[in-house]
Amino acid sequence: MTASAAKLSVSLPATLAKALRSRVGTRGLSGFVARAVAHELEREQLGSFLTELEQLHGPVSKAALASAKRAWPRR
Amino acid sequence: MAEALILDSEAINALARASERAVLAERARAILAIALDRRALVRVPAPVLGEVCQRSRFDAPINHVLNDRGIVVQDLTRSIAQRAGALLREARLSSESAVDAFVVASALEFDHAIIATGDPTDIQRLAARHRKIRVFAI
Repeated sequence: MTASAAKLSVSLPATLAKALRSRVGTRGLSGFVARAVAHELEREQLGSFLTELEQLHGPVSKAALASAKRAWPRR
Repeated sequence: MAEALILDSEAINALARASERAVLAERARAILAIALDRRALVRVPAPVLGEVCQRSRFDAPINHVLNDRGIVVQDLTRSIAQRAGALLREARLSSESAVDAFVVASALEFDHAIIATGDPTDIQRLAARHRKIRVFAI
């Protein structure tokens, strides 16, 4: 967390809130939620950036995508 | 700490100047698209900016890519810097390869990482002993 923090009130499904507290406890809650929100925001931004590039330069070829996929470890 | 895609100078330059570097940009876009599918973090180690940001009036395309595009600058910490020194020594490379060493040391902060690079030779040499790192030549 940065030095300046804003308080937000959010609602979660009860089962999710229980699992969250069980996993990180009360003290770790803010940090966990901040990391999760940051990650989701980054994903949204990255998706928008890829769309912007596609509009400017056209789609990425299937061959380039296949080559990129092979670079990652299998799951 | 999760899975990450690490971009080096050529990768970030290709994304910033996609019209001039069409082939490299397509490969960089492809690896970004797979990173998005895999929910991987996308990071640019801070020392990379020392290579790509050299004249402020020409830096606008780089800043465009780094401002709210889901590509985040990873700060250089003391532990990353010290690890980079150890990597240079292991690989018997000089400080001329320091930025590459910072890139590999930054990648080692994650559980698994792919380094997208335009010059894989030194990166592969630096990462040779670390199986959790893969190298993707753009």
